This record gives sequence, structure tokens and C-alpha cells, in this order.
Amino acid sequence: MWLMLVAQPLMWIVFFGNSLAGLPRGFLAQYFGVENYLAYMIPGMISISVMTMGMFASMSLVFDKRLGYLKRVLTTPTPKSAVFLAKAAGAMTRGLLMVPVILAVGAVLGVGYRVNPASMAMWALGLVLAGLGFSALFTIFTVNTSDVHAPGVINNFITMPLMFTSTALFPKEFFPQWLRVISDFNPLTYITELGRNALVYGMPPDIKALLAIAAFAAVTITVGVAVVEARLEAD
Amino acid sequence: MSAIVVENLAKRYGDVEALRGISFEVSRGEVFGLLGPNGAGKTTTIKILTGLTKPTSGRAIVAGFDVVKEAAEVKRSIGWIASEVIVDDELTGWENLEIQARLAGVKNWRERAAELLRYFGLAEAANRLVGKYSTGMRKRLEVAMALLHGPEILFMDEPTVGLDVGARMGLWEVIRQINKDFGVTVLLTTHYMEEAEELCGRIAIINKGRLVAVGTPGELKAKYGVDVVELEVSKPVDPSKLSPFGEVVVLDGRVVVKTQRAEEKLADIVKAVDGIKSVRVKKASLDTVFINLTGASIEGEHADIKRLYARVRWARR
Repeated sequence: MWLMLVAQPLMWIVFFGNSLAGLPRGFLAQYFGVENYLAYMIPGMISISVMTMGMFASMSLVFDKRLGYLKRVLTTPTPKSAVFLAKAAGAMTRGLLMVPVILAVGAVLGVGYRVNPASMAMWALGLVLAGLGFSALFTIFTVNTSDVHAPGVINNFITMPLMFTSTALFPKEFFPQWLRVISDFNPLTYITELGRNALVYGMPPDIKALLAIAAFAAVTITVGVAVVEARLEAD
Repeated sequence: MSAIVVENLAKRYGDVEALRGISFEVSRGEVFGLLGPNGAGKTTTIKILTGLTKPTSGRAIVAGFDVVKEAAEVKRSIGWIASEVIVDDELTGWENLEIQARLAGVKNWRERAAELLRYFGLAEAANRLVGKYSTGMRKRLEVAMALLHGPEILFMDEPTVGLDVGARMGLWEVIRQINKDFGVTVLLTTHYMEEAEELCGRIAIINKGRLVAVGTPGELKAKYGVDVVELEVSKPVDPSKLSPFGEVVVLDGRVVVKTQRAEEKLADIVKAVDGIKSVRVKKASLDTVFINLTGASIEGEHADIKRLYARVRWARR
């Protein structure tokens, strides 16, 4: 588990991140606002990791069905929605555990962070909300299944498009118009920009980005609770 | 007041009718058995009564609460034990009890947990990982977990499946004891005849989603029990010669006669047939009740008795 947690962002940062190391400084400064692509990428990588870890919420629920443990839970007065929220909170925690790891990797590779404390606080709150939101999103799609492969499949259908239609890896200025529109509705964009302000640009917090993430979390959790209460079966 | 009231309960999964309207009542303090072959609807019944699934139609009252409308109250009043042992292997026995206490919303659980661990002989093992427990210990832990919140009614779905003879008899003792010591009503399902006979005050036999008989083991044996006389023969037999004694099923090389008081009729049966190689008599027992009620005769077709026996033997494994 830990190997997977750490290995994935590490590969991205070391291989993908360094593949753009040779970009001209002026180009980087103009379009990315940084002198080092890694600095631009680190907040994006953290967002992607928190999103990817959301898969563990649905995976854990599928395994609880497989092992029959969900039957044990659902024969107690504990409501179904509590199970769902617990899974989301668990996956969110896993996601947050990656944050210091990725930050440390960045520091080791020579990224200088320009920290804005107020933005940092808001980013931390944003990561909690985004973690819950993504976990809820994954779980909604796998509530009805006890197929162990389903979370992995759903994972690809959710994370890939969200990753490539967000500003996690590249700035919006590179995108064609239609992609910019999608990017503006993509929660991953907002959590990434929140992180960049806090960590890389040293800018004051962007309340609108936080509100967008809060709205995303509120919608996915509300829908998730409703779906789980109506559809979740023990096996 | 009855602990459990089931009225015309039916459950349909897509095209499959798992339950086709069953009704029965269980009194407080009873150990009640649901008996039936695989796929009869036993587990579906338990799933409805424990609130794991909703009935398609009909009504069930458990501990005075409606299983659909008052599911939370029902769940507060019941304990549940699965046929497969469901505990968290990565936690200790004590931690498993703690999780159960939180799930069940029991506030002052520590004292009771310690008491239950002592009662089930698990006190020493409390802080060991459950993954290291023997199957019998895991089962006892599961029973302790089910009793933690002091339920009125305990549901046990095939509780002794997969246990060795010693552990099974140990669990029988446990079930009898908790019924006596804690005053818990027990509803268990099983396809082991001797288990039902050993434990249950009353038994309901279900087959293909329908209730076919309810009563004490003695009542069922008296009413539905048949003695079975099995003859191995060297040449074909005319069934009409045997039909005065009871229902006759002719198989290749063998004749089965379902009758009453077989020992009194045996001499006449043997005289009526030529070329007998061997004779076997099976006295009425819950086994023969079970075969009689869930086997060919009830479906109105003279099925292969051998297959029926095989099915029962298979079910016993």
C-alpha cells in the first residue's frame, strides 16, 4: 500500500517532471510563472494524488461487501450513510498523508517554496474538502457493485479525464477554447490553483476557488448519501 | 407477546422467487429452527428479519417492531451471526468488540465485553490478533460480539457450517447456554437434521420458498416421518405387490418402500418379493421427515430417491 502511495507521485515527478526540465527559463517564467517546472507541477501532483486516493473509498466498500463485513455493519443501527462518510473520510486521510511526502520530494529535487500562510490554511481546508468530494464521487459509481475490478475501471474513467482537463500539469493558456471551458468546471483545477497560490506563487488565498471546491464536495457528498441510503446492499 | 411474527413474507430477486409467502411465529425465549435444503429461502428470511434486505411483500415484526418501517429499532434489539465467520482478522479480539460496540451504539461496553470474553473462554486471547485464532475461537468471538449490546433475539445463519465435530458441539452448548443464561430468543437456520433436533424447541421446514411444516421435532416426526425399507433385488419387482405397505419407488436393482412401523411389516414385505439380496430399514427421523417434505413426493413426481439421499448427503458436507 505504502509503496503504491509513494511510488506513483514519485514516478510522475522524477520522470515526467524532469522531461520538461529543459524548457527555456523565459518560457517557464512567462507561461508557468516559475523558473522550475517541478515547482509548477508539485501542487498539481498533490491534487492528483488526493483525487486518486479517492478510489480507496470505493475499493474498501467493495471489499467489505466481498468479505461480508458490510453485513455485520448493516445489521447494527449504524446508518448506511455513516458507512459511506467513513469510507470517504478514510480515503481523504490517505490522500492527505501523501501531501508531506510529495512536498519533501519536491524540496529534495530543489523546489523553493514561496509560502503564504493564509493561503496555506485555505489550501489545507480545500484538500480536505476535495479529498472527501473525490472519494464520494468514486463511491457513487460503485455503490451497486461487488466486483473488485470496478473501482480500478472507474478510477481510469474519472481520474484520466479530470487530470488532463485541469491545470494540474499545464497552464490554461496552452488549452484550446473548449478545453478551457471544461477546465473551468473541473474541481481539480481549483484545488491545484489554491495550492499554487499557497505554495509556489506566495499569493493571498482565492476564496472563489475554495468555494468551488466546497460546492463540489457538498454536491458529491449529498448525492452520495442519497444514493447509498437508497441503493447500498450488503452483498 | 411473540418475539417474531412473519406474515405472508415474499421476496423476489428479478425472476427468482426466493420466498413465496411464508408465515410463522416465534415466542420469546424459544430456540426456533428454519430447516430446508440449499436455496430454500432460509438465508433470505434471515436477511429480511435482520433488515439487510426489504421484503417484496408481506410483513415481519421483530421484537415488536416492523422490519421495514422501524428498521433501526429492530437492529437495536437483535444480534446476528453469519454462516461464514465475519470478524476483522487484522484486529485483536478486544478491538473487534470495540468496533462492534461503536457500530451498535453501546456506551459502557468495556465491562460487558470483558465479561463476555470470560464467559466464552477468550479472556486470555483478548489482546491477540483474531487472524491467529482457531475457527472455533473466532466463532465464539462472533457470538460475544453479537451479544455485546444485550439483544433480545439472536439470528444465526447456519452457525455451525465449517466447524469440526468438537467445535460444533461446543457451539451447541453455547447456544443452549445463552438461551438459558441470557434469556435470548434464538432463530437459527440449518440443514443439519441432528442440529435442529438437538437445539430447537420448534422447527419450520421450508422448501422452494414455501413453508411446508412447523412443529416440535416430535410432532414433525409423528406427522411426517416415514420409515424407509430399502430392498436390493436381483430381478424386477412388480410394485403392486408392495403397494399395500406404502408408497413404492422402483429404481434399477432396488425398491424403496415408504411405510409406517417398518419393523412390524418387514417380514411381510420380504415375503412379498422374490430375489432379495439385502434389506435396509431406516426408521423415521428428522432425516426422513426432511426427505419426505422437501423431496420428490411433495412435488408430485417420483424422483430418484438416490439423488435425494445424495442431495441430503451433499447438503451435510
